Amino acid sequence: MSATRRQMALEIVRIVVVVALALLLGFFITALVSDDPVGAYTEFLTGPLPKVSINDDGSWQLRGVNRFGNWIEDSITLILLGLSVAIVFSARQFSLGAEGQLFLGALAAGAVSLYIQAPAVIHISLALIAAGSAGFIWGLIPGALKAYLNADEIVSTLMLNIIAIQFYQFVLIRYMRDFSAGYVGTEYFPETAVLPVVIPGTRVTVALFITIAAVVVVWFFMSRMPLGYEIRMLGANRKFAEYGGIKVKRVITLSMAISGILAGLAGTHLSMGLLKQLTLSLSPNIGFEGIVVALLARNDPKWVPVAGLFYGYLRTGAQIMERSSDVTREMVLVIQAVIILFITAELILPLIQQWWRRRRSPKAILDSIEEVGDVA
Amino acid sequence: MSLETVLASIFSAAFIATILRTSTPIILPAMGGLISELAGVINIALEGIMLAAAFFGVVVGALGPEWLPGLPGWIYPWLGALAGITVGLGLALIIAFFHLELGADIIMAALAINILAAGGTVFLMFSLTGDKGSTSTLASPALPTITIPLVSYIPFVGQVFNGENLSGYNMITYVAFISVGLVWVFLYRTRLGTHLRAVGENPAAAASVGINVKRVQYIALLISGVLAALGGINLSMGYLTLFQADMTAGRGFIALAAVFLGNKNPVGTLIAALIFGAAGALEAQLGTLNIPSQLITMIPPLVTIAALVIYNLRRQAQMAANARKFQEKLEADQKAV
Repeated sequence: MSATRRQMALEIVRIVVVVALALLLGFFITALVSDDPVGAYTEFLTGPLPKVSINDDGSWQLRGVNRFGNWIEDSITLILLGLSVAIVFSARQFSLGAEGQLFLGALAAGAVSLYIQAPAVIHISLALIAAGSAGFIWGLIPGALKAYLNADEIVSTLMLNIIAIQFYQFVLIRYMRDFSAGYVGTEYFPETAVLPVVIPGTRVTVALFITIAAVVVVWFFMSRMPLGYEIRMLGANRKFAEYGGIKVKRVITLSMAISGILAGLAGTHLSMGLLKQLTLSLSPNIGFEGIVVALLARNDPKWVPVAGLFYGYLRTGAQIMERSSDVTREMVLVIQAVIILFITAELILPLIQQWWRRRRSPKAILDSIEEVGDVA
Repeated sequence: MSLETVLASIFSAAFIATILRTSTPIILPAMGGLISELAGVINIALEGIMLAAAFFGVVVGALGPEWLPGLPGWIYPWLGALAGITVGLGLALIIAFFHLELGADIIMAALAINILAAGGTVFLMFSLTGDKGSTSTLASPALPTITIPLVSYIPFVGQVFNGENLSGYNMITYVAFISVGLVWVFLYRTRLGTHLRAVGENPAAAASVGINVKRVQYIALLISGVLAALGGINLSMGYLTLFQADMTAGRGFIALAAVFLGNKNPVGTLIAALIFGAAGALEAQLGTLNIPSQLITMIPPLVTIAALVIYNLRRQAQMAANARKFQEKLEADQKAV
């Protein structure tokens, strides 16, 4: 096994162990508060799967398709946000702006959906372009501020999130609201601007294909295109990238802007796919959820779908658990926090190795030295 | 309400009192953010720490009489406050340990704490009260308010010093303003404060003159945890005496912005926090004038971004000027030779 292969295998083992430990911890805290922790946790871990029930006459039917649908719907959002975060994190820029970009993407898509009339294909394409552009611009601003003025991107993106969400709510309440509804929201989008459903009985729409395409495009971009290479170089070592002639300022700006496109597209999935309208909160607290996905995928676009489906599964399972037991879905946030903490703790493995070595007897160490000698 | 009445209410002693109240839970975490930022370990978990402290303050304050019966009644709010501060310290310690010992990125560790606090508080609140929205079913106590005697008889001044109803401010408001002075003294008049700023400026250089960088950064993060916790307690054990889900509503992030807007010094940060507090107070006032509150809420972040731009433009100009001076001096020296 080559060194990089081995490293990757080790990395996968590490992530699996961390996730398993986090799930175990989740079970402990469930046990602390629940009257039926095993039942609750079973719902959590198996809820999103469709179940086959066999009737007496031998025929069978599939139950829980909508739960399965919820899982895929949520994963689409998470994968798009995960890709968005993976791009900026690859450049080692701590942009936290996905939330604002998502809201503005949804707003742009909503405006195109409601105020332009066109045949479905053109209408949807225009809305997607509008959303991507909105996200691009909302990423370009903090990117340029960071690159050319050295303005801290954490602060600027957090501030831009507030501005974007307030602007979204202002426009929605002031100009786009449908007063016949009992809540703050627009009219339902015309049929030409609603993403067509591809799995009957769910809200899984062509956003699924858009997401698959996005994964492929981002993978190709990051691993096969010059700008993607420059982004990774910048993330690996800024000084080295500068020395190698990479226009670092341009790369910082574009990495944040391009990441915005994907968050904007996540906004179209929520508005044109799931809700078919704009509502005040779209999807509460979705903003930072892309981070855990990107982390689990080690910022590698081809692993983002796996991580997104996994975390989407946990989120959906938690919702099902909440409905059918005395444990709230926020349990999954505790699990998420533990996963983030332990995956980012780079030194845990070396520290454990060190501790292990120190525990071993002098004889064992001598043996291992001989072993090394044999290999040499 | 007409424009005049609104203007009159803005330029009044009561409005100043409102600002002091609304900026308290921004000033305290901002001071914490300042110390951590100056030590080179920016703490973006102020939000989560505030939230967790607010929650535990309420829970221990309310359930204290059940868990530890027989103590005098006045002691329970203090137990609540102590619990909140302890939780703040604990969360800050987790960030410090994962960052300084286990090599976790400080941003990531802090984000995890924010997520833990947001999820954990709702999770525990539901298991304790069966409610996911607020702890309104718990009777939780407030920390005492302080009323300054006699000044209430003086018009205007009375309202400024004792609040709009002359009933005094919550003691945490006093703590907030005192903390600004203490932070200033700590940073600029103590050895540890000097070390702290040196560590933030250049950790390698600080280490080379014998400063224990890790220890200083531990201390900075723990202080930021305590200050953020005090801000959280102020939310749930002061004017309001309950905990609500997401009660902090982004104040921890606004506090972080105040640090940058305030040019990373205590007085500037205090002024920035007061501006943000004023924007919050204004929002409530202008709601009656049919000015959308969203536009007011946008002001603090817009000001912060403008400040970031201006600050960095000025710094670039200054650096360019210094480079030019150096160049001229060099040329003059060469001519002289």
